Amino acid sequence: MTRVLAFTLNGRPCRTSAPAHWTVIDLLRDGLVLTGTKYGCGEGVCGTCTVLLDGEPVRACLVLAARLDGRTLLTVEGLEREGRLDRLQEMFAREGGAQCGFCTPGMLLAATALLAETPSPTEHQVREALSGNLCRCTGYTKIVTAVLAAAQAPA
Amino acid sequence: MRLPPFELSEPATIREALDVVARHEGECRLIAGGTALVPMLRLGLARPERLVSLHRIPGLAEIRTDGNDLVIGAMATHAAIHRHPLVVERWPLLAEAAGRVASPSIRASGTLGGNLCYAESASDVAPALLCLDAEIIATGPRGERGIALAEFFRGFYETALGPGEILTSVRVPGARQAAKSAYVKFCPRSAEDRALIGVAVRLVVSNDGRRCADVRIALAAAAPTPIRAHQAEAELRGQSVTDAAIAAAAEAAATEGDPLSDLMGSADYRRHMIRVWVRRVVTSLRDGTPLPNA
Repeated sequence: MTRVLAFTLNGRPCRTSAPAHWTVIDLLRDGLVLTGTKYGCGEGVCGTCTVLLDGEPVRACLVLAARLDGRTLLTVEGLEREGRLDRLQEMFAREGGAQCGFCTPGMLLAATALLAETPSPTEHQVREALSGNLCRCTGYTKIVTAVLAAAQAPA
Repeated sequence: MRLPPFELSEPATIREALDVVARHEGECRLIAGGTALVPMLRLGLARPERLVSLHRIPGLAEIRTDGNDLVIGAMATHAAIHRHPLVVERWPLLAEAAGRVASPSIRASGTLGGNLCYAESASDVAPALLCLDAEIIATGPRGERGIALAEFFRGFYETALGPGEILTSVRVPGARQAAKSAYVKFCPRSAEDRALIGVAVRLVVSNDGRRCADVRIALAAAAPTPIRAHQAEAELRGQSVTDAAIAAAAEAAATEGDPLSDLMGSADYRRHMIRVWVRRVVTSLRDGTPLPNA
């Protein structure tokens, strides 16, 4: 049973189809060959598949693809602008916020959602926003530093 | 890894959803945010032939007031409840508990109705709602009925929902008296874990500021379902809120719980932490002092 889906993907209209039992990550990686979003635990625990649905962070492994219809999805592929990394990505690179890189897409999207709502977060707010994203290299210190570097200076 | 295949219905109205559920009784599962059901499907713990997703039904995620009551649609997410200005202002205990569920992205998907339908012992929102005397509104083929939340949790992952019924909203009465309240989620490892134990308290102090006019104490992960700690409440209700009365309430809460042993901690450790945290929460509410970090 395949469903036709129309939604906005990384700022562009996307019309595609997916079987009923596909989750968002199945559609991204296998249907659309957007492999930036990583498959980790598959149970919503590790956070590496975090994407933004209508601006809110969700787990791509938990959300049925059918729920994308009519909505707006942002993945790590949608962060760069005209071939240039966005500020968060630049700061992750500058501060060494990516080690093996597997958690990085999820970290970037969770941090993007945070900075959209709270442009000048405290360190505590950064840690809280990333609390559902596990880094198996345990490189949290530099990740938090990178997000704080990308944030606006407090007013 | 793919989910095992299933058919998917996306009804546009409650009536349509009830019809689908009636036609496929025993073969289908309702899905809201998917944060509980999708992992169960992946692990093979549930193998429904059909999922019925409620996401297309208009208004089912609405948060509104009806007179003095708060009415929360079953599909409202924990994130929406946590930040809703009305909930924050008038039902702060619920806003606080919704903000402690798992992690930000689970809160943005997971729904109140879904959470309650699992009778999840470690639910963060259930103890808050038990303290607030919440009522479940269930819609079935013969119409709506209300079920007190305290009667809704029947046993391990078991609720009072009948066959063919759908939890459509939760009704929370407005406060009749000024009360102080707090929810503590104690996680010894990390913040996004399930609670080792959760303690919600709503305390109404008499005008002279000494006597407990009324109290609710409810616990997460202290029994096979979320529970009200009735004996603990009885130690305080009508009494002076002395350190001794608080200690007696904490002791009662520890004994009336029936906690499980699991990866998070043993039943004995849980019982002890119930004792510790009931004492700390009630003391901090009485004195207006901040709680130690959980």
